[in-house]
Amino acid sequence: MHDVPELDPPPCAREAVAAIRGELGTLRASIDRIERRLGNLEAAPGRPSAAPPRSERYLRVLVEVYERGGQPGVDSETLALIGRSHGYDRRGLGGFFTGARAPLERLGDRVRLTPSGEALMAAYLEGAAE
Amino acid sequence: MSRRERVLIDGAGLQARLDDPRLVLVEVDERPAIYREGHIAGAHCVDPRRDLQDPLVRDIAGPAAIAKLWHRLGITRESSVVLYGDKSNWWACFGFWLFRVYGLRRLRLLDGGRQAWLADGRAFDRDGPRRHSVALTDVPRPRRRADLRADRAAVAAAAQAGQQLIDVRTAAEFRGEVLSEPGYGHEAAQRAGHIPSAISLPWERLVGADGRILRDAALRERLAAGGVKLELPSITYCRIGERSAHTWFVLHEVLGAPARNYDGSWAEWGSMIGMPIAVGD
Repeated sequence: MHDVPELDPPPCAREAVAAIRGELGTLRASIDRIERRLGNLEAAPGRPSAAPPRSERYLRVLVEVYERGGQPGVDSETLALIGRSHGYDRRGLGGFFTGARAPLERLGDRVRLTPSGEALMAAYLEGAAE
Repeated sequence: MSRRERVLIDGAGLQARLDDPRLVLVEVDERPAIYREGHIAGAHCVDPRRDLQDPLVRDIAGPAAIAKLWHRLGITRESSVVLYGDKSNWWACFGFWLFRVYGLRRLRLLDGGRQAWLADGRAFDRDGPRRHSVALTDVPRPRRRADLRADRAAVAAAAQAGQQLIDVRTAAEFRGEVLSEPGYGHEAAQRAGHIPSAISLPWERLVGADGRILRDAALRERLAAGGVKLELPSITYCRIGERSAHTWFVLHEVLGAPARNYDGSWAEWGSMIGMPIAVGD
C-alpha cells in the first residue's frame, strides 16, 4: 500500500468531504485487496499457508451457507441445521466467526460468507473439480 | 398468461417442464465452479466473464460470440430458455439482459435461482448438460437492440436532464463511503460516490430473503417509497452492471416499465476523467 499524500486545503467543505471520502475509499479498497490476496494464499492448496488446513466438513459448511443463503445469507436457524448436518453444535459454529479472516459474518439477522470465506470456498471448489 | 408469468418461472413450473425438448436451461454463476457441485438436470454452465464479455475490449460479447454461444447451448428459434444462477440470480439476470439485448424472445428466469431451488427441496444432479444437435442455420441471428442498454453518453445526457437514474449498489457505496463492497475491490472505481441526480435503491429491496422477486404490489410499493416513478424512463446502474441487470429485469420485464441498464456502471463512470460525481445522500 502506498503512502497517503497530505490533502491540500480544499476550496470548500463539499469538495473536502468528497476528497476525504475518495481517500477513505482508496484505503478501504487497498485493505480489501490485501485481505483477498491473503485469503487466496491461505486457501490455495499446495501453497505456503499460515492457516491450518481445513477439514472437508468445515468447507462443506461454507458451501452450504453460500448455496442456501444466496446473496442475503442464511438465518441462524438454517445455519444451525447446516452445522448439525456436518457435526457442529452451536459452540463449534462459533469458530467460524472468530479470527481476522473468519469465513462467516453476521449482518443483522443473516449470516453469510466473508471475502476470506468465499476465497476459501472457491479454492475448495476449484480443487474438487481438478 | 401475465407479464410476470411470461418472464419468471418457479421451481414447480420448471420441474414440470424438464423433459420438454424445447427447454434450454442455462446456469450463470458468479462462481461457475459451483455448477460442478450439482445443477438442475440438463443445465448448461455459462461463465459470465468468459462467455458474456468481450475478451479484448471492456464490452459485452459481440454478435459472433453470442451466436457461437447460442449454438453451443443449442438455442433455436423454437427454444424456450430459462436462466438461473447463484447469488440470488445476479449474473443470471445479466445473461437474461444480454440475451434480450441480442433479440432473444422466449426467455425466463427461475425465480430465486439456485438458492430457491434448494430451499424447495429439489434435486441437483452432476450429469453434463443436455446435448442438442442444432444446425448453425437454426440458431437465431443476434441483432443488438439499442433500447435496453445505456452507454455513458446516454447516462451523461440523462444526468444533465435530471432523468431517472437508479443506483442499486449499497447505501455506503452510493454515499461514497466505500469504493466497493468487501470482496469486490478488483471492481472498484477511482472515485467513490454516485452519478449526480441518481437515486439510491439497493437491488435487494426488490427481493425477499429467499432470493425470490417480491410480488408486483410489493414491488410497486417499494419502488414508490424509493422515489422511482414507473411511468418515467429509467436507467439502472451498479458497479459493473450485473446487480443493475437484476433491477432492470424487475422494472422492464416484470413490471413493463421503460428501463435501460448501464453496464459500464460505476466502474466506468467513477474512473473517467472529467465526469462529475456526487457524494452523500
